[in-house]
Amino acid sequence: MSESEKTERLVNAYLANLPTPDGAEVDGKVLAEALTAMQQAKSQRAADTSRITWRTIMTSRAGKLAAAAVIVAAVLSLTVFDGLTRPAWALEDAIEALKDFRAVYLVGAFPGGTAEVWMRANETRTQSTDVVVKGSHGAITWTQDGSTYHYEPSQSIVYHENALTIGMAQWLGPGLLEMLSAAENSQVVRGKDPATGRDRVMLMCSLIDVHGAQSWIIEFDAASKLPVAMKHWPNLDRSGPPAFDAFKIIYYEDLPDSVFDIRIPPQAKHVEKPLTIPEEAAGILSDPHDGISAEGMTQQEATEKVVRALYQAVIDQDLDGLKSISPLCRNWGDEFLHKIIFKPDQDNRIVEIVEVGPICRTGQSKLGPIVAVPTTVRLKNGKKVEEKMIVQFRTLGGQSSCVVHGIYGLPRQIE
Amino acid sequence: MIEDRLLVWRFNRGDMAALCRIYEKYRDGLLKVAAAVLSDKSGVEDVLHDVFVEFAQSTGRFRLKGSLKGYLAICIANRARDRNRTIRRRPAVLGTQTNPPDTASPDDAAVTHELTEKMGEAMAQLPDEQREVIVLHLQSKLRFREIARLQGISVNTAQSRYRYGLDKLRSSLNSEVRS
Repeated sequence: MSESEKTERLVNAYLANLPTPDGAEVDGKVLAEALTAMQQAKSQRAADTSRITWRTIMTSRAGKLAAAAVIVAAVLSLTVFDGLTRPAWALEDAIEALKDFRAVYLVGAFPGGTAEVWMRANETRTQSTDVVVKGSHGAITWTQDGSTYHYEPSQSIVYHENALTIGMAQWLGPGLLEMLSAAENSQVVRGKDPATGRDRVMLMCSLIDVHGAQSWIIEFDAASKLPVAMKHWPNLDRSGPPAFDAFKIIYYEDLPDSVFDIRIPPQAKHVEKPLTIPEEAAGILSDPHDGISAEGMTQQEATEKVVRALYQAVIDQDLDGLKSISPLCRNWGDEFLHKIIFKPDQDNRIVEIVEVGPICRTGQSKLGPIVAVPTTVRLKNGKKVEEKMIVQFRTLGGQSSCVVHGIYGLPRQIE
Repeated sequence: MIEDRLLVWRFNRGDMAALCRIYEKYRDGLLKVAAAVLSDKSGVEDVLHDVFVEFAQSTGRFRLKGSLKGYLAICIANRARDRNRTIRRRPAVLGTQTNPPDTASPDDAAVTHELTEKMGEAMAQLPDEQREVIVLHLQSKLRFREIARLQGISVNTAQSRYRYGLDKLRSSLNSEVRS
């Protein structure tokens, strides 16, 4: 061996043993800011190109983060509402792979920044209970005791909603499989990840749900069967840049409580978040043949009547009645509604209306006043669940009437 | 490499996952390059940060000539050199803190550890440009032709810097042994 070769060997040994910062610790600073920079560069380029127009759902950063949070809910729960039919690959395997995990962590980008998301299921793993979404600009959205909070540091304001408006309505597991197997009109694409060479399966789907038009691409690792990335758009054709692009998804058996313990500056001002529904819902909610007449009734009376009619249709498994009271259901197929709403063979199907509570939130849409009302229902397994429903009032042809827009937040088990 | 070409193509189309994959693929190697070239080890993370933020901002207009790994490694080396110049501090402690290597016996480990520590001190005494070429060639496995192209120097200059650098290292180590 020559002298040069000996020296090279020593240099190689030195380089191999040279300590460097822990990669995982570096990621938090470097990768998050690089992705934010990329997102901003993309936005700038889009703004600079007049030919490229794309829809911005909300103008404030708070709104965008909130949208990202809702998207998480949508992607991981409402995916369901349209796509993923009879996939050629074994979806059962994916669900089997997911069933041991009670918690999930995502990192992704939304217009103007990046967000980290932590979620944990309830004890029975039927839905999420604890959710925290942290934006790269300091905003935080989280759930606590059945409410959802959003802290906007630039305004030092905490927005509050008395409902779980972020999270997963259906946790990863057999229930989700039931939803997926009931859905229709998806596309499944196979390919290889260029970085790792691993086989990937991409599921593409779209729908109109209570949050408006949505579409997704969810990427599964074919070997592990786990979802590893997903993108979401606030439209049906996946046009424009994604509203949320989760490039990292990690599953945990559980997460410590401290992850969900959010502390904000005590001087922050608390503000009630207004109750809203998507503007595009106005069209489908404005058919005068739908809903019930509200003539001669107070808002509370009409709300109670229409919500009771809705649940009665569910209990009676009356598809036409359901679609008439809640017209948004027309966006989904009968088979899907049957399996997901009526659940005829399941223990968690609704069998009794226990109570319709007083109106808890009010707001305004293009059609008129909207209200939210809590309803307690009993399931076949004896458990009681509280669901909040949004009711839309409208005056059509001089007649006052109302329809149910849809559920407000996630259901909450109360007994 | 074709997979890097695909990643760059996706990156230019605004795919955030592509940036993530590029980062994860090259992070560890780039941290080594930064740690080897920097005089101030606390700046390793900052150098990686600056390079990746600048790279991320080039989405949609990034044009790759040569290898992506080489491009990123040169960016790291250049940024580290700029930082060294700014700090105006010679790398007195560069490389003196190495991890004990895994070897067959404790004696071997002690000898090797001592040698690598001395190597760190010797590396610290090299001019920046010689140290960079050595690190880029041995750590990042870049050819002299690529180092020369990316640094805007001739191949002969790159090879000379490497050769002179190795000679100085050998000389430093020999003098250490003699003393």
